[in-house]
Amino acid sequence: MADQRSLPEETHTADPFGSQPILHEVDSWWKIRLTLMRRSLRENWRIFRRSKVGVFGLVIIAFWAIMAVMPTVFFATGFWNPAVYDPVTGLELNPPTRTMTMVERITDPNTEIDRRAVLLDGRIPDTLQIGDTFELPRQPAPPDGRHWLGTDPLGRDVLSQLMHGARASFFLGILAAVVTVVIGTTVGSMAAYFGGIVDAFLMRLADLLILIPGLAILIVIGAVFTFQLWHLAVVIGILSGFGGTAIVLKSQALAVKVKPFIDAARVAGGSARHIIFYHLIPNVMPLSVLYMMFTVTAAIQSEAVLSFLGVLNTDTSWGLMMNLARTQGYLLQVVDFWWLTIPAGLSVTLLSAAFFLVGRGMDEIVNPRLRRR
Amino acid sequence: MTSRRLPLEISAGQARLLEVDGLVMRYDTEAGEVSAVENVSFSLGRGESMGLVGESGCGKTSVALSLLRLAPENARYQSGSVLWEGMDLLELSDQEMREYRWAEISMVFQGAMNAWNPVYRVGEQIREAMDHHFDPPLSTVETSRRMDRLFNLVGLDPAVQNRYPHELSGGMRQRAVIAMALSCEPKLIIADEPTTALDVIVQAQILEELKEIQEDLGLSILYISHDMAVIAQVTDIIGVMYAGKLVEFGSTRDVFHGPRHPYSYLLLSSIPSVTGPRRRPVSLEGTPPNLLAPPAGCRFHPRCPWATEQCRTDEPPMMQIGPSQWAACWNSEQVPEMGEQLP
Amino acid sequence: MVRYVTRRLIQMVFLFLVFLTVTWFLLYILPGDSVALKYAGNPNIPPEAREVALERLGLDKPVLIQFRDYMFNFFQGDLGVSFNQYPRPVVDIIAERLPRTLVLFLAALVTYYWAGFLAGKYLAWRRGNRGEMLVTIGGVGLYSMFLPWFAFMMIWLFSVLLDWLPLSKFLDPEQWRDAPFRANQVFMRLFWVTLIASVALFASGFIARQTRSRRLGRTLRWGGGALAVGGFFFYWYGVDSGQVMRVYAGDIGFHMILPVLVLTLINFAGVMLLTRSSMLETLREDYILTARAKGLPERVVRDRHAARTALLPVATSLVLAVATVIDGGVITEAVFSWPGMGEILVSSVLSEDIPLAVGAFSFIGILALIGHFVVDILYGVLDPRIRVTEHG
Ligand SMILES: Nc1ncnc2c1ncn2[C@@H]1O[C@H](COP(=O)(O)OP(=O)(O)OP(=O)(O)O)[C@@H](O)[C@H]1O
Ligand code: SF4
Ligand SMILES: [Mg+2]
Repeated sequence: MADQRSLPEETHTADPFGSQPILHEVDSWWKIRLTLMRRSLRENWRIFRRSKVGVFGLVIIAFWAIMAVMPTVFFATGFWNPAVYDPVTGLELNPPTRTMTMVERITDPNTEIDRRAVLLDGRIPDTLQIGDTFELPRQPAPPDGRHWLGTDPLGRDVLSQLMHGARASFFLGILAAVVTVVIGTTVGSMAAYFGGIVDAFLMRLADLLILIPGLAILIVIGAVFTFQLWHLAVVIGILSGFGGTAIVLKSQALAVKVKPFIDAARVAGGSARHIIFYHLIPNVMPLSVLYMMFTVTAAIQSEAVLSFLGVLNTDTSWGLMMNLARTQGYLLQVVDFWWLTIPAGLSVTLLSAAFFLVGRGMDEIVNPRLRRR
Repeated sequence: MTSRRLPLEISAGQARLLEVDGLVMRYDTEAGEVSAVENVSFSLGRGESMGLVGESGCGKTSVALSLLRLAPENARYQSGSVLWEGMDLLELSDQEMREYRWAEISMVFQGAMNAWNPVYRVGEQIREAMDHHFDPPLSTVETSRRMDRLFNLVGLDPAVQNRYPHELSGGMRQRAVIAMALSCEPKLIIADEPTTALDVIVQAQILEELKEIQEDLGLSILYISHDMAVIAQVTDIIGVMYAGKLVEFGSTRDVFHGPRHPYSYLLLSSIPSVTGPRRRPVSLEGTPPNLLAPPAGCRFHPRCPWATEQCRTDEPPMMQIGPSQWAACWNSEQVPEMGEQLP
Repeated sequence: MVRYVTRRLIQMVFLFLVFLTVTWFLLYILPGDSVALKYAGNPNIPPEAREVALERLGLDKPVLIQFRDYMFNFFQGDLGVSFNQYPRPVVDIIAERLPRTLVLFLAALVTYYWAGFLAGKYLAWRRGNRGEMLVTIGGVGLYSMFLPWFAFMMIWLFSVLLDWLPLSKFLDPEQWRDAPFRANQVFMRLFWVTLIASVALFASGFIARQTRSRRLGRTLRWGGGALAVGGFFFYWYGVDSGQVMRVYAGDIGFHMILPVLVLTLINFAGVMLLTRSSMLETLREDYILTARAKGLPERVVRDRHAARTALLPVATSLVLAVATVIDGGVITEAVFSWPGMGEILVSSVLSEDIPLAVGAFSFIGILALIGHFVVDILYGVLDPRIRVTEHG
């Protein structure tokens, strides 16, 4: 299984025999490795491409990646005015919908009166009486030429929030996945290499982590700490890296461990650290990339749920958009205020499904058994 | 083209149990049609045992599965018939076919190790077949008496029926498979590589037992193997297959001692023989053809030392060359002498 | 089998101790002063409660003593006092909520595994590799559906647009205003009656499977099923104690439909995909060919041979499903304001009611561990190879 993919192993077995000047050796070693890597990448891409679902997932991810960079372009070109389109502080002053409002109560007009009422014509009406009616802009406003997906209850552009939400999701998902893989490969390889107590301890820990509902842990941690986005990514990475990912990668590392080139490296006097980091981990990598995809899915979902519940401390995210819709009571007005819920909910679903699909596509590279006959 | 009808009367006078006539079966694949069984004809009488030999991938299993109509979904029967006591099995409805299976023809599958469902006890899996085939159903007492008999017959302790498959050794599993094959008193057992995965001693024992059982019960057996030496010990008739075609057919004695098709000749000469005639080992070079695009003319010509111009273009028909021997080769007369001169 | 169970049990107890320790580390040691700060800065906490909580934490005592106290208290059932519902003990609240959550999770788990397994089985049997793309994308789409959003969409569809089912909550307060029962009384009755009926239903199916005569099997299956279902309705309509509770039990059941439906829909696709691929794999096995060669009807080959073995990896996935369904349940309860463990977990976290949050979390952990234990035993029953080889 590892034969055509994990080509680097050949270079390793050749290692102990090289006695050329070190610089030269390092140089050519990397060249060989790069060539091999490029070749195996091309081969893997060929296999991946045959998986229709994988490619489908990739297309969706590409779409969201473009969405995520769009705001930068829009702001830089001046197409979007930050004062209006900023996902957090932006405000549409002149929405297409208005509503007649009657003044019910007057307190100090300078501070307490509705901000939007004040800004309506740029000044505070002096002669405000109870019972006066005047026109107020109504937020959330439905999509129009300026706001393609309308505005939210605070008058901010939904599309802009959606795009920034994609950015947050990518940041979170990828960071979580990287942490997972770094921890998972290390833990898995160590458990496989050392066996015994180390293995028993790490694996029991992993058992525990996969048993305990992850979201429940995150919610409780959220109760004690103030959660930033990157905290969340790291915690998810740790949970999944020490948990399920470690178990899978350990069994893979066990399979690699019995290969002859590991013995060769050991005979050649390779230290445990050397063998783990230069031989085991590179060979376990392909599988761990697969698990990265599943971690991304889990991370995106967890973030959305936590923000939706209001446990997370972020300023733009898809979950938060839904949270606002919920707290302002628009969640069940699916027909009248669809732009407040459908885009955000669908985005979470689509992007996490896309990573999952890519993972399934990769499965065919990593698991030759699944390949089409 | 000569008649497709084939040499039926080897042991004259007996009613033929099974007649396969001009069977053509192909597999549909993404890459095209795999011609796995091409115009195969043979017949088998009651109580006879026949061997089907050939290299891996020449279509032996495909033939066997056709007899039970169990070929994979992508199999297409193009023409020919499989007559069972005169009735064409290919024409039966699925329901009728199911009633034939096991009750008339049972099969010991290639790699019988995997023939057991891991989650049921061995006895349960045998009983299941009996439950479905005896009409009126056997009583519980009768079933278990029968089961004990079966296990004794194949040399197993009847207590084995209460074990799970993973608790048996390879040899025991194989014996239990044979017991299962016998359970509904079939007239024909197809044994597809029944002993390949076993060690030589167990292999010999099992073959010996099968032979005894066959004689005691008057069964017919169709052995399938790539090992000519093994087959020769237990069969009356041998058919040699190459690339989806039957290339030589005849009594075991004739084919084993005087092969008249170059392929059989080369196969035989590659076994070191103690009992048979002394032969110089001649190697069989090359590999079987890709059945997606088999060679024109004689399918063996790319590897055949006897090949002539004619072989490349014309397909040799099955021709009778002895009282009980047939071969499909243009140069079958030259086979014995020329064989001596091969390098 | 006995040894297998004992071993698993010991492992579980050990895991549980580890779990408690980790929880304690997480919540009491790591943030240390920040907990105290949180307590001090939270205006929701009654002053007496703050004193009690700080006292319990015993931040001034040595670490080991703190840990000992925590464990000691835990096993005495003393989890402290809720801030928000002061002075109600946490254990009290949990005792009320736990059965409800258990029922919700079980109902959802059973329904979605059953539905997913059936769907996967038929998909694999019918179409082999065709339609793979469609099924996979549809399945993955459903599987990665954003749960809260999906839940609200379902609420909108069934409660707002169609107005068939209640919006949320455990029961309808209007109807219960002067009810002669407490909700938990009715709920527990509903729980037991349903449990007995389902066990009877399952048992008759199971026994029917074991019988060799097909006639007797069919009689048992249908007869037993009818008896179980009939008995269930007879209790509510024919027996006095059932009749008086019927309306209220019905109300509770009515409120459970949508949450269970949501959990089922979102999770069943995963089981379906897994069953489908497991079954496709099984169908390639030799023993399936053998079963066909034996002349068994296709239905028997499919159900008794292919599906039965294909069930094994699906049963393994139950281990992970325990955690998944609890996660899903937490969200669902929060969305539906359905008062179970998940709902208190979320609400206590949001209002910084830390004793309650920790208590709820511990019990969710216990739930997960017990679930895991049951799944392990179930797996041992399903796969004879495990039972004997006693693998770790
Ligand atoms: N389901 C299938 N689809 C396509 N081709 C197939 C299928 N099954 C078998 N084949 C092809 O048909 C040919 C005959 O296969 P078969 O299994 O009958 O050979 P065999 O003689 O039994 O070989 P072996 O000794 O290895 O068992 C082979 O070339 C094989 O690749
Ligand atoms: S027909 Fe020709 S090629 Fe074929 S076996 Fe005979 S001699 Fe060889
Ligand atoms: Mg074969």
